[in-house]
Amino acid sequence: MKRLRALFLLPAWAFTLLLFLGPMLIIVAYSFQSKGIYGGVVEPWTLENYTRLFDPLYGVILLRSFVMAGAATAGCIVLAFPLALYIARSGTRKSLLLNLVMLPFWTSFLVRTYAWMFLLRDTGLLNSALLALGLIAEPLPLLYNDWAVIVGLIYGYLPFAVLPLYSNLERLDKSLFEAAADLGAKPWEAILHVILPLTAPGMRAAGVLVFIPCLGAYLTPDLLGGGKSMMIGNLVQNQFTSARDWPFGSALSLALMAIVMLLLWALLRRDGEELL
Amino acid sequence: MRRRALVFSLAGISCAPSQPRLNVFNWSEYVAPETVPNFEKEFGVRVRYSIYESNEEMLARVFSGNSGWDVVFPTHYIVPPMREQGLLVPLDHSKLPNLKNLDPAFSRPTLTSHAVPYMWNATGILFNKKMQPRPTSWADLWDARVAGKITMLDDPAEVLAAALRKLGYSLNSSDPAQLRAAQREAMDQKPLLRAYLNSEVRDQVVAGDVLAAQIWSTTAQQAIDAEPGLDFVYPREGFPVNLDCAVILRESGRQELAHQWINYLLRPEVSARVADAMRTATANGAAKPLLAPETRENPTLYPPPEVMARAEWFETMTPEAQRLRDRLWTEIKSG
Repeated sequence: MKRLRALFLLPAWAFTLLLFLGPMLIIVAYSFQSKGIYGGVVEPWTLENYTRLFDPLYGVILLRSFVMAGAATAGCIVLAFPLALYIARSGTRKSLLLNLVMLPFWTSFLVRTYAWMFLLRDTGLLNSALLALGLIAEPLPLLYNDWAVIVGLIYGYLPFAVLPLYSNLERLDKSLFEAAADLGAKPWEAILHVILPLTAPGMRAAGVLVFIPCLGAYLTPDLLGGGKSMMIGNLVQNQFTSARDWPFGSALSLALMAIVMLLLWALLRRDGEELL
Repeated sequence: MRRRALVFSLAGISCAPSQPRLNVFNWSEYVAPETVPNFEKEFGVRVRYSIYESNEEMLARVFSGNSGWDVVFPTHYIVPPMREQGLLVPLDHSKLPNLKNLDPAFSRPTLTSHAVPYMWNATGILFNKKMQPRPTSWADLWDARVAGKITMLDDPAEVLAAALRKLGYSLNSSDPAQLRAAQREAMDQKPLLRAYLNSEVRDQVVAGDVLAAQIWSTTAQQAIDAEPGLDFVYPREGFPVNLDCAVILRESGRQELAHQWINYLLRPEVSARVADAMRTATANGAAKPLLAPETRENPTLYPPPEVMARAEWFETMTPEAQRLRDRLWTEIKSG
């Protein structure tokens, strides 16, 4: 029995070790080496890539990334909560609605981000419509600013917030709501004092699932921010492209991973099994 | 070495035994539709042809020394470091009789020992003729009157080049004080910019969202072809030149065939056909008379000599200068 179990686990182990741990170890090794003149890594081994991390310049970029990812996460949860509540209460149409939430994943994220550029640019759909209606005289600068980046992040990761909230709300006993009503709570009071506290684990799960990818995002800030607002993901990307500094890029991405893992660990310790 | 031999012999088994195969890795949109098929027919070989979008992408692939490519096309300032790393073989000029066709302006001996100039472009300003007064200098991209309607390239070397030339310095400067001054210029300019964009700016200039953009001449020409209301200018302070070159990798087991391919590309009629079809500028002097007149006399693709006098080639940076430039760029982008 035991041997059979080991046999069945073998592919998963091989996959994890070869394709996940292997590349990770390469990144760790790179992060302790020196930059080759045009990319790649060379001897000598050094700690310099890690001491460079404490440069205030990178702190500013990290802080910025936290603020942007935090704003996008808050936006996602605020939008996802009523949506998840609605889906959880829609009976037979539940699976249809859930599938609609997942529908955007059928096309590439890059293509969808380009679609946002066509929506937001000066001659784009939104500005053209507002101009045609006579509501504005000049196109609004919707594209290439921090707001465009946050909107793009919210759009991209909203489904990750809807799903955990939905599964949390779906499990809630409907009679709790009725009991609150019986005891004289108005619907909004019932939501505020009963439903919201009970969905806190779902919100934390949603928060983690949205915040982590937003923190490392590089495509959205690049395309919707027009390269004017650098996030940590862009900094890492730059090290592997124009700066040709693979070791520092490796150290940066490992540092980012360490921060994310610390955050996760803090949350998991608090929520135990409930999370995810 | 032994492992590589094994890989090659396996490759030999997998393809037709009698037909040798040449592996060419080139920039996108850099051959005419018939360039490769004609070579295959004439020399009885097969060509595996693949494309890349940046020097970094190509370098990451050939860095290992067993990438499987025979001929790649780095930009000129990438050639010296590739040579120093031992990635390139010296070219056998006796196998490249068509080298004589090169425009002397591009055939620097230091370059042609290992690389053959192919196509080139330069950086300038693409603008909408509605913009008044029309831009003539880099300084016009610092004009508050067109704030929010201008873009710069998303490339540290290009943005610093414009700022350095605006200040009257060499665009290859490695002097920290000059670079700092250029960085301040770029920081002053940033609030006026709509964005830092590369070739994707083309559609936005055509659509009218952007009035003026720092961009490469060949990309600008594509925009002008699509929208006659646009024009291109080489700034009066001076501008950078990029020359893409064919090189043969040391790892290649098909040196003879690789030389034949490069010599074929150096034929005037082949080179002219590529330049006409792709609307790019050839470094082949003998090909120029064969170009369609609208390409040959195009001032964007082939600026007149008095304009070319202001051109400055990008040079390879020392590691220290490169690191300072990267840091300044990060400061610009995060500021």
